[in-house]
Amino acid sequence: MTSSKYSFKRYRKLIIPVISLLVVAEGAAIVCGATFDKLFTGLTRGFSFLAYMFPPQWNAFSEMVEPALQTILIAFLGTIFGTIMSVFFAILAASNISNKWVRFIARFLIGLERSVPEIVIILLLIAAFGLGAMSGVVALALGCIGMIGKLLADTIEELDSTMLESIESVGANKFQVINFGIMPQIMPNLISYTLFRFEINIRLSVLLGAVGAGGIGYELDYSFSMLQYHRALTAVIVIMIMVFGTEQLSSVLRKKFAGEGVLK
Amino acid sequence: MIEVKDLTKTLPNGRKVLDGISFKVKKGEFVGILGPSGAGKTLTLRCLNGLLKPDSGSVIVQDGNGEKHDICKIGKRELRQVRQRIGVIFQGYHLVKRLSVLENVMIGRVGQINTLRSLFYGFTDEEAEEAVKALDKVKIAHMAGNRTGSLSGGEMQRVAIARAIFQSPTLLLADEPISNLDPSNAKTIMKLIRPLSENIPVVGVFHQPEMTAKYCSRVIAIKEGKVIYDGDPKLSNKKLEEIYGEELGQLDQYEYSQQPSMVEAEMRLL
Repeated sequence: MTSSKYSFKRYRKLIIPVISLLVVAEGAAIVCGATFDKLFTGLTRGFSFLAYMFPPQWNAFSEMVEPALQTILIAFLGTIFGTIMSVFFAILAASNISNKWVRFIARFLIGLERSVPEIVIILLLIAAFGLGAMSGVVALALGCIGMIGKLLADTIEELDSTMLESIESVGANKFQVINFGIMPQIMPNLISYTLFRFEINIRLSVLLGAVGAGGIGYELDYSFSMLQYHRALTAVIVIMIMVFGTEQLSSVLRKKFAGEGVLK
Repeated sequence: MIEVKDLTKTLPNGRKVLDGISFKVKKGEFVGILGPSGAGKTLTLRCLNGLLKPDSGSVIVQDGNGEKHDICKIGKRELRQVRQRIGVIFQGYHLVKRLSVLENVMIGRVGQINTLRSLFYGFTDEEAEEAVKALDKVKIAHMAGNRTGSLSGGEMQRVAIARAIFQSPTLLLADEPISNLDPSNAKTIMKLIRPLSENIPVVGVFHQPEMTAKYCSRVIAIKEGKVIYDGDPKLSNKKLEEIYGEELGQLDQYEYSQQPSMVEAEMRLL
């Protein structure tokens, strides 16, 4: 085997995927009509619009506090209820504790939930519960199942089977195996996934607010449609503070409850 | 007393892994099961507490009240009841690592208390005291509050023994309890298990003939799913060769036959 042949084989592995990716990207751009030309005009327009929004309307700040809190509470409640449901679904979906058919159905429901975007769920829920926080909470709670349920089910399946058998071997029933074997072992992962989902839910909660769940998202949407751009910018700043704050908080909590040392 | 009669088990691929295993163990006996890898030792042991259902045969054990049960035929509920009094020590690291040592010992009795109470970890003070006493017997009572994951392999096996003692078992099973321990820890564990056999039958699977010769009161050798030896724990070299010999031969063959294909596989990767 000559060295040139060897290096060609090596490079081939890199060049072929890169070129094919570029070709596909170009094809996609042509189909959907995205051009660099449009990108530049759009960007300039965007920046001038941002400049136009300045300065934020500072006196609207106090009006934003309550809706912001509402958004956070919707995200909080949605995450709490969602996590509880996710744990339930995850246990049903884990092959080492659940029965074959139950597992199949639970996995199917988790997958089904993941394939439906939150925005679709909330539009359906608004039809059911009407406009307001309730729809937001339920939509976010359901949204947790697809993600936390899946991740947690995989975590449970990775648990040491001997450990679970050893609890079974003293005559424990399924509930006791779950309570003593599974729950303590998955707790760090559970906390970590929940915090991560809470960060996502804060952002989603803003989005859902604009569609009709209330809160800061509604304020933002309202200001835009009333052409009160300075007020809208205030809402944007509040949202940024909110998102940044929750991310900081969750990283502190994660370090405390789901860090390296806790995982042992 | 435990009585094993004619256990058979055939895998879905047609391999007969257990082929008529029978033996009896009385209280006061510490029986070591020896045999090459894949001979069916662990499978036999798993049949003894119902973790594995054999195709045919029976395993008769006595529960705390002296009643006899056939583990292979009873339903789930009754099986759980019988298991409450069967202590099992597995091969290393089978404890719940994020619970404390004391909680792991308490798990020994979860089957004996009602589900609702167990869901809240509602053990009584007397039970906690007993658990500490069990830990004291294996000389690690000072570690009761430690997280189990921080313990060494030898210490974990001591916790497992304490858990079995806490169950106040009528039968003790041990599945390769010393396989991943260093020699001095292994000796300590054997020394802790042996006195338990004074009042109850103890059955263990081992890989170390020198250990069973020293600590067991009887040895059963299993090969290709059959009992090929049952008797004195001190085995002659000839007997050992008969038990393990062929395996070593196969191992050599395996290594040589694997080598060329490994090279091929690496070539393909390039």
